[in-house]
Parts: sequence; structure tokens; C-alpha cells
Amino acid sequence: MKIRNILLLFVLVSFFACKPELDDFTTSNGEADFTKYVAIGNSLTAGYTDGDLFKSGQENSYPSMLAYQFEAAGGGEFKQPMMLDEFGFGKRLLLDVSKPGPVAAGGTPDPGNGASIADQGPFNNMGVPGAKSFHLLAPNYGIDLENGNPYFYRFASSPGATVLEDAAAQDATFFSCWIGANDVLTYAIAGGAADSVTDIGTFSYAVDLILQTMTTNDAKGVVANIPEITSIPYFTFMNTQLPYNYLVLTEQAQVDALNGAYAPLNQAIIASGSNDTLSFALGQNAFVIVDKSLTWGMRQMDEDDLFLLTLPTDSIQNHGYGSQVAIPDSYVLTSNEQAEIHVAVTDYNIVLKNLANTYGLAFADMHAKLAEASTTGIEWDGITFTSTFIYGNAFSLDGVHMTGQGYALATNFFIDAINTKYNAQIKFVNPNLYPGLYYYQ
Amino acid sequence: MNTFATINQSNYLFMRRILLLLVSIFFVASTFAGGYQVRLQGHRQTAMGLVGVSLHGDASNLFYNPAGVSLLKNKYSFMVGGSGIFNNTAFNLQNSVYQAETDNSMGTPFFFYGATQVNEKLGVGVGVYTPYGSSATWDDDWAGAHLIQNIAMKVFFIQPTVSYKINDLLSIGAGLVIATGSVELNRAVPYSSATTPGQVNMKGNSSTGYGFNAGIMLTPNEKWSIGIDYRSELTMTLEGGDADFTIPSSVTALIPAANKFDAELPLPANLDLGVAYQASEKLLLSAEINYVFWGVYDSLIFEFEQKPELLNSSNPREYSDAMIYRIGGEYILNDMITLRAGAYYDPTPTNSDYFTPETPNLDTYGLSCGITIRPTEHLSIDLSYLHLETQQSTKSYNDPDGTNFTGEYKTRTMIPGIGISYNF
Repeated sequence: MKIRNILLLFVLVSFFACKPELDDFTTSNGEADFTKYVAIGNSLTAGYTDGDLFKSGQENSYPSMLAYQFEAAGGGEFKQPMMLDEFGFGKRLLLDVSKPGPVAAGGTPDPGNGASIADQGPFNNMGVPGAKSFHLLAPNYGIDLENGNPYFYRFASSPGATVLEDAAAQDATFFSCWIGANDVLTYAIAGGAADSVTDIGTFSYAVDLILQTMTTNDAKGVVANIPEITSIPYFTFMNTQLPYNYLVLTEQAQVDALNGAYAPLNQAIIASGSNDTLSFALGQNAFVIVDKSLTWGMRQMDEDDLFLLTLPTDSIQNHGYGSQVAIPDSYVLTSNEQAEIHVAVTDYNIVLKNLANTYGLAFADMHAKLAEASTTGIEWDGITFTSTFIYGNAFSLDGVHMTGQGYALATNFFIDAINTKYNAQIKFVNPNLYPGLYYYQ
Repeated sequence: MNTFATINQSNYLFMRRILLLLVSIFFVASTFAGGYQVRLQGHRQTAMGLVGVSLHGDASNLFYNPAGVSLLKNKYSFMVGGSGIFNNTAFNLQNSVYQAETDNSMGTPFFFYGATQVNEKLGVGVGVYTPYGSSATWDDDWAGAHLIQNIAMKVFFIQPTVSYKINDLLSIGAGLVIATGSVELNRAVPYSSATTPGQVNMKGNSSTGYGFNAGIMLTPNEKWSIGIDYRSELTMTLEGGDADFTIPSSVTALIPAANKFDAELPLPANLDLGVAYQASEKLLLSAEINYVFWGVYDSLIFEFEQKPELLNSSNPREYSDAMIYRIGGEYILNDMITLRAGAYYDPTPTNSDYFTPETPNLDTYGLSCGITIRPTEHLSIDLSYLHLETQQSTKSYNDPDGTNFTGEYKTRTMIPGIGISYNF
């Protein structure tokens, strides 16, 4: 009898709580209520990375990370309009160890990526790649795949719906708003050759309406400002590889040919009262670029002009770009264009900060943080983030959007702002948990 | 060694069948204490907080103290047994809500001993047992995947042994240890395709290693016995193991998908010192310290056949020697039943700065109990249960490349075991 009891004890013990349990850790929501979190923004909010929006990128979006951290402080379900595969709309980039830069991922995107999934909504992540501030208020913004924004078409509740309506209809208790980057970026990425910078009046009106709408139910939230373009490798990396004056002439014949070819233009420039002529000598020379602000349309480059990441370096090497042919406008952001953008970014950020205060919202200073990354670098959990292309950890292969680790860093700046404003104790995320630039062809 | 030659043929076949069964099934040992050492080599000892060096009277002396083999009372002593290690480690990434937990399969260390008394003074025997082993299974996409996804290390020792009783006070014994083992591990590598995460699978068998196990048993009187045992260090040397990389096609220009590697793992020496006191006819008490020379585990070095300049790595471990304290007792209830209990404290030999989740070993408290049942004069059945708890501890792994992996770990281990002795 006794033996049987002991044997029974052995059996029972084997089924007894086998798992160790870790002691609880502190996390609290403070004055904020994370029950229903809705994220408003553009591609950065959607989880766009490496040139496209795809499944694993969306899983590592900063709103998704925030929602995961909020869970421990009363946060609820967080739904994103997921792509069906890793290839999105077919624009994803990958590394190839034998190539100097990123290559197209190839792969066959699932055609279902372009289909509407609105019936599975509403979606907490309302980030729409390509959206500018005022786009969020625009009816018919996702009217269809061809004429509307294809990303918003995927989850717009109706063809005529606005992003803001669909966001507000969810009656969020907490929201994040990171909008405004595209108000300058679309123009900047085009080298100032297309699109335009949103005027401050329009920007201010749009953001005010967004924040007003989202706080009508007294929701709490966090607003982020936007980075300077000089904090972004798409605009700064190429000059580190190819300086503005790296047109190297080794033979007098080349020098004479170029000076001869530009002589008629130089005469016209002088005739119009300018002395900004083009001249070439043995050794290093500044490249010739298109500058549409000049009536004669071109000049030699200055140190302050920026090559874009898309610069076709093989055309410079083999097809006379920058010497016989001026480098097209779309590959260069001139210092004038940069100044125009800088003014806009500064104005937008003043508006964003003031409105965050007006509506009693937390404010994440991404402008300062990304400036810090691009100058001194930021270290977090052993990873050093800089704005160096490919090797800087923060920015993905498209040079504009972030890596999973970069988004984790941004998440922590949001959390810091939220904790400060609302006396919450949300834990930071560890960027090591998220992917860096490790994706290869 | 001619141990088996004189055994009754049917007994021999019976034991051999069990042994084969054990070798094929009972092989993997989960890490549960003291680095990757596994001291579950007898259920009497396991039930008594793993004291053993000063105990004598059964064939497990082959492991715990070979000097005791010459003191065995029967002409032939056989023992076979195994344990099931149910071990789980929980992990919480530092400053994060992220938690993970191992999903370890049951660890199954085993032992088999056979010993015979050639004459009054001389005893010989052979033991087969698994004194080291480690297994940890984390999710493939868990936070520490770049350090380890899963690992299974198996080591087993064969130990032919001679023991001699010099006089009533002093016995000595020594065995030659012949060791062999294998390891298989998977870890994430930072080269993923759009759809498939990068991974390396490394596995191989070690070459045969040799060592010794030598002990002294002092029996000054009926009440006291003192044991000292030293088990030498061995090195498991793995040459030409397979390293298969699951990596994107463009990366194979840089890293060959199929490679070979060499590695070494030290199995540290142990010095055990223990004392047993027969407090009454029924009650035996014992205390013991084990000094484990873990300091030899300095780093884990992988050397690859192809692209060594890129792939070779030296991974610091920097273990320290550890002292384990144990107490145990047994009470003879009647002719049929003996009860046992014990406890111990086993401080981790790992280094707080180089703590990896491949061997998530923490300061451990052990409590054990057990029972022996003797249905007949010759046969006894040993049952033991060992329960291990660790304190929740914050540990880091500071990779030489600068990355850092810090979090809180906690482990719970439950080890039921069963063994059978047949002495005649």
C-alpha cells in the first residue's frame, strides 16, 4: 500500500507545474489608456522597408512594436493590413554579396497583395505609404488601385473614405501620429525635379484637423516630428562615395575639348551678366549638373549640392554624365532646393510641436534623434545607429525607410515621450530582437 | 577485463538487452546543474542529495568512488538505471516585455554497472554512464537565436575498474575512462533570404578520449567512512564535423554552404571529498563537497576548413571552478524498504558576462528523496526524485563583436529516476 502511494506520488510529480515562472516586472499605463491604439502616418508607420511594404516589414513596424509593449500595460489587439507575402508590390530590395549596392529581390508577388482586404478591418495601423499630411483628409484617396493610393485602396472602408475618417471611426483611446515627411520627401527624392513642398498653411490646417478629430473623445496620443533630409542616407551617402569635384581629367586634350564645348555657353552666361561660367583644368573638377533655377539651365557643382542615392554612376563613368552631359536634375538636390526643404521642415516641426502641446499630447523629437544618429551616432543595447547607408543599422536598403532595428529605436523614442508625458512605465524594446540588414538575394 | 565471462548466461543476456535499450533511448541529458555535468549515476546517491564518495555497498561505486568496489558484499553486483530530466528555463529580455521559454525534450541520462569480487581483497568491474550532457531547445526565432536555437550534447563513458582493499582501514580503486560523444546544434546566422531565415547546423562525433577515475575509501571503524575521489579532465575533440549553412544563394560565394569544423570541449576534473556516519543501525548520514575544475572552460573555439578567416570564432565562456555542498541521509525502515533524502547547493561555474543560453546554468538548490524496495534478497529497485530550483538571475553575454544579450533567467528541473540492482 505504502509503495503504491509512493509510486503514485512519482507519477503526480511528473505532471506537476514543470515550468518556471519569472517574477513580474513593472509596467504601467500611467494616465494613458492603451485599450485601443490606432497609428496614423505614412510609409514609416506602415512598416515600409527595403523599398516595399511586405509581411515581415509590417510585423516590425514601430506601431506593431508599440502595441506589443502596450500589451503589458492594458493594450488590446492590434490589427495591421497585412500583405500576403514577402514581396509586396514587387519593389523589394535585397543585398547581393557580389554587388556593391542593393539588387531587386525578384520573386513573384502574390496578386492578392493588390486586392482590398477592407472586409477584414478596421485596422489599427492606418499608416499609408506615400501619404502627405493633407492626403489623410482627401476623399477618394483610396478609390482604386490605379487612380488612388494603392496602399490605402487595400483597406479603405469605402472608395470615397478618407484615412482620417477610417481612423477616427475606431474610437481609439490612444493614437500616434507621425505625418509630414512626404510633404517634403516626395519633392526631395525627385531631386526637386517633380512634385512640390506642401505650403505651411495647408500642412498646419491638415495636422490641426487630424489631432482635433482624434482627440474629440479625449484620447491620449503621441505626435512625432520629422527629420532633416540631411539625416537620411538617400541624400547624404552618395557624396561620401563620389565627391562633387571628382571629375578627374588626366589629359590636356580632354580639358581642351570640354572648355571648347562649353565656350559658347560661357559666352551666353557672361552676356547675361553672370560670371558663373564652366571651366575645366587638369586634375579634379566639379561635375556639371542641371540647375533649373538658372536661365541657362546648368552649372558646375558645389560642395553643398547633394547627389541622390539613385545617381547612375555608370553613366558618369561611361556616358559623359557630369562632363559632356549635365547630370539631370532628378539626381541632384541643389543647395537652393535643400534650403527650401529645410525651411519647410523647420516650419512643420514648429507646427507639430505647438499642436501637440495644444491637444495635450506627448511629443517625440525624431528630428533631434535622427540628427544625433547622423552626427555622433546613437547606441542602444549594443547596436550603434548611424545614418550611413547599409552599414549604419538604422536605414534600410532604400536609404529612406528604416530597418527593423531602426524602427525599434524609433519605437523607444515614442515610448520615452509617452512615459514622460503620461507617467507611464512602458518598457523599451530591444532592437536586437528585430532584423537589421541581413536579407540577401 | 573478463567480468562478463563468469556470469550466468541468462543474466548476461538480460543485462545486455537492457543496456542496448538504454544506449539507444536513454541518451540525452539536459543541463540541469553545474555547467554541463550530470551526476545522476546512482539513485541511492541521487536520493541523498548526490552524496556518494563516502558511500559503499552497491555497484554505483564504480562512478562515485572506485575504491568502494572492493568492499562490495556480493560476489556479483549489477545495477542499471536512468532518469528523466524535465527541465525548463524561462527568459525575460532585459528592459523588455519579451519573454521566452525553452521547450526541452526529456533528458535521459543512464548508467550501467557490473562488478565482481575476485577474492576478499580484489574487486573488478565496468561502468557505462553519461556524466556530461546538455540540451536546450529554444524557438528558432527567439531573441537569442544568434547565440543558440537548440543544442544536444551527449557524452558517455566506459570505465573498466580495479579496486583493492589494502586492509580494514584503507581501500583504493581506479578505473580507465574511455569517453566518446557527439554534439549537434543549430544557430541563426545573419544571412537570410526574403523568405528563409539563415541558419547553421553543426554536428559531429568526438574522437575517443581517455581519462581516469581514482578513489580512496577509509573505514576507520564501523560507524565512519571517508571517501576521496578524483576524476580527471577529458577533452572532447571534434574533428571534421559537418557545418551546413542554410543561406541565400548569393552568400554562398562568400560562405560555402557545406563546410567542416573542428571544436573542443573540456570535461572538467572533479575532486570529491565526503564523509558518512552510521548514526544508528538504521540511520546513515553523509556530507560531501565536490570541487569541480570548471576553470578549464575558457572559450569555445570553432575552426572551419573553408573560409576560416571569416568563420572561425573564439567564444568566451570563462567559467570558474565551483564548490558544491551536499548532505544526505538514509533510513532503513525494514528489510524491504529504505528511505532517503538530501539537499545540496551548486553554485554556477558560468561567468555573468559570458552567460549563454546554450547552457543556461544558474546557482541551483537541489532537494531530493527516494526509496529502495527489495522484493527479494537479490533484487532491489531504487526510485529517486530530485527537484532543482534556481534564483532568478540577470545574466549577459557580451559577444567579442560588441553585441550584448542580457536578460533574466530562471530554471526549474524535475528529475524522477529508477534503477534496478541485482546482487548475488
